[in-house]
Amino acid sequence: MSQTHARKVETFAADEARVDWHSAALLALRDKRDLQAKSLPQWEQMRESASRMKLYVLSHLPELLEQFTSNCEANGMEVHWARDAKEHNEIVASILKERGKKKLVKSKSMLTEEVHLVPHLEKHGIECIETDLGERILQLREEPPSHIVVPAIHLKKEEIGELFHEKIGTQAGASDPTYLTHAARESMRQEFLSADAAMTGVNMAIADEGAFVVCTNEGNADMGAHLPDLHIAVMGMEKLVPDADSAALLMRMLARNATGQPSTSYNSIFGAPRPGCELHIVIVDNGRSLRMADRRHAEIYKCIRCGACINTCPVYRRGGGHSYDYFIPGPIGLAIAGDNPEANSEAWACTLNGSCNNVCPVKVPLRETIAYHREQLAQQKQLPYHKNAYMPLAGKIFGSPRGLSMAMTAVRVGLRIMPQILQRRIGGWSKSRDFPKPPAESFAHWYRKNRGE
Amino acid sequence: MKIALFIPCLVNHFYPEIARDTLELLEKLGHGVSYTQGQTCCGQLMTNSGCLDQARASVEALGKALLKEPCDAVVAPAASCVVAARENLERLTSFEDFHSLAGKIFELTEFLHDIAPLDHPLKPLRKTVSLQMSCHGLRQLGLGTASELVVARPVNKLQALLSRIPELTITQPSRDECCGFGGTFSVDERDISGKMANDKVADHLATGAEAIVGYDPSCLMSLGGVVSRKGIPLEVMHFSALLNQVT
Repeated sequence: MSQTHARKVETFAADEARVDWHSAALLALRDKRDLQAKSLPQWEQMRESASRMKLYVLSHLPELLEQFTSNCEANGMEVHWARDAKEHNEIVASILKERGKKKLVKSKSMLTEEVHLVPHLEKHGIECIETDLGERILQLREEPPSHIVVPAIHLKKEEIGELFHEKIGTQAGASDPTYLTHAARESMRQEFLSADAAMTGVNMAIADEGAFVVCTNEGNADMGAHLPDLHIAVMGMEKLVPDADSAALLMRMLARNATGQPSTSYNSIFGAPRPGCELHIVIVDNGRSLRMADRRHAEIYKCIRCGACINTCPVYRRGGGHSYDYFIPGPIGLAIAGDNPEANSEAWACTLNGSCNNVCPVKVPLRETIAYHREQLAQQKQLPYHKNAYMPLAGKIFGSPRGLSMAMTAVRVGLRIMPQILQRRIGGWSKSRDFPKPPAESFAHWYRKNRGE
Repeated sequence: MKIALFIPCLVNHFYPEIARDTLELLEKLGHGVSYTQGQTCCGQLMTNSGCLDQARASVEALGKALLKEPCDAVVAPAASCVVAARENLERLTSFEDFHSLAGKIFELTEFLHDIAPLDHPLKPLRKTVSLQMSCHGLRQLGLGTASELVVARPVNKLQALLSRIPELTITQPSRDECCGFGGTFSVDERDISGKMANDKVADHLATGAEAIVGYDPSCLMSLGGVVSRKGIPLEVMHFSALLNQVT
């Protein structure tokens, strides 16, 4: 059993100035997203269309997978289906090893985090270089991402300056973002030129074309994929869309919702290997089929990984991305994996405020899915925070008008006689808030006295 | 209209003045209002933690109490309790009468805005208030248009009601973010919850208002707790107090 989420946030939450800085950085993304969304009067219709399109995909996966695969093969690509993380990693390793590849440059992919690809390849003696700037920073720090779109959002530029000074030889004390970015680019350029294989993720896989879209802001995916003679693209099977129009709809929403840009800077559609080169696609299930079989869990696979739910989440912003057990933080992470009994407090790292639902471009019912995980954990008696013990008792007391009245009266009287100085030491609620000053009588009592029955 | 009051347990025991303001206000507006004894919790405490089975007895007892007196509408001065009562009467009970009861439970704002629109002349009140648009009312009941949505004509039902009070100045915090209450979240996740409540109070204070006014007593309790702890010069009140005062 991992530590509770409440325990895990303690260190991060203790530095209030840093919490405010972190929260403001993410709110800036949310504000930019709002501006971009509001620049399209038809935004809400687009959300509805995108949601329905992704529901169509989830309910027609077998046909679409076969269609995509045969069209890709007709276009000269090789397609591999992987049942789980292990199979995925073995496929990738064998493609690389059979061709004697030693150095892989990869663009950002949450899937490779999910299946722990990099450690697997390193075991096989293959060097892996992250080429997304944020991911590269974290690779140098040997730290996991704290966000799915802006993975190093928890770091300040001064901390990155120190890291670069130590790892890539920038001037001591330098923290100017332009200077640091240029230095990273110089260092990265050497990696691109010496790599003999490239890996990208997939943002949308277009079934009727046998092609796929990769969106980046840094052009790193393109730089990687266009130099060596081998490109491996990896994707979760939910990345499918039926056609190019569907991909275009998502492309209009993805960057707007993620970072408040009208579009990512680089949008490449890969439809065939370059002459003399190989292009492989690995499609992964890794538990997706099982989750999709549960109607109340399935819609998480509409997600296009824009991260907007994370940016708007008031809990994430104040607790940081490393406070979660699952590698994807925030609402979408909780909606995917909040049913894990080993990290049973995760589903409670949420106030059910529903802001995430409203920003989601494909209308994933995040709030309802998180609530569903709580129901499942309750049924398995795997509740966190002592709820296994007190919830049945609460149910009994609250279920009886007399019991409820007696219990509430006891609390009321208790708070009336207990000195405030002691109330403030109770903890929990009273760590940062006073209890209310309770009245002498309840409304029910007053009504009986003054209005009769 | 013939109205049955649903007074949630927190209001009944900790904020009876909200119940009295609601009762008096509805009576002044010409409605026949009754209150039946024996009302329990909407079940939210349990269902918010996924404990559906543990909530059933409470929800059934509440349904029984509310059915004692025939009425046209059930009105409650607490948004999240209305959301839970409706949802739980539907999903946790199989009694037909409970299901039709669920359909006529209204939160006070929506009742005064949509069901029996407030059209009484109101007395002037010189005061600056900051609206606390709590999440369940905002995003589940649609008492306002949440900031995330792209809507040509945003609505705010609480503002619409209060703007009928002459001389009242209405402000809003810069964000409609959650105040951090979240039921047991306020205890389980005390650090994050406390920080959210503090941030929300600061946002209200920055509007220059004298009072935070809202429709959800539980959120107001959390904000009031911060105001009290920090000695912040802000009143925290349910909007029924304002309306009752000027009606």
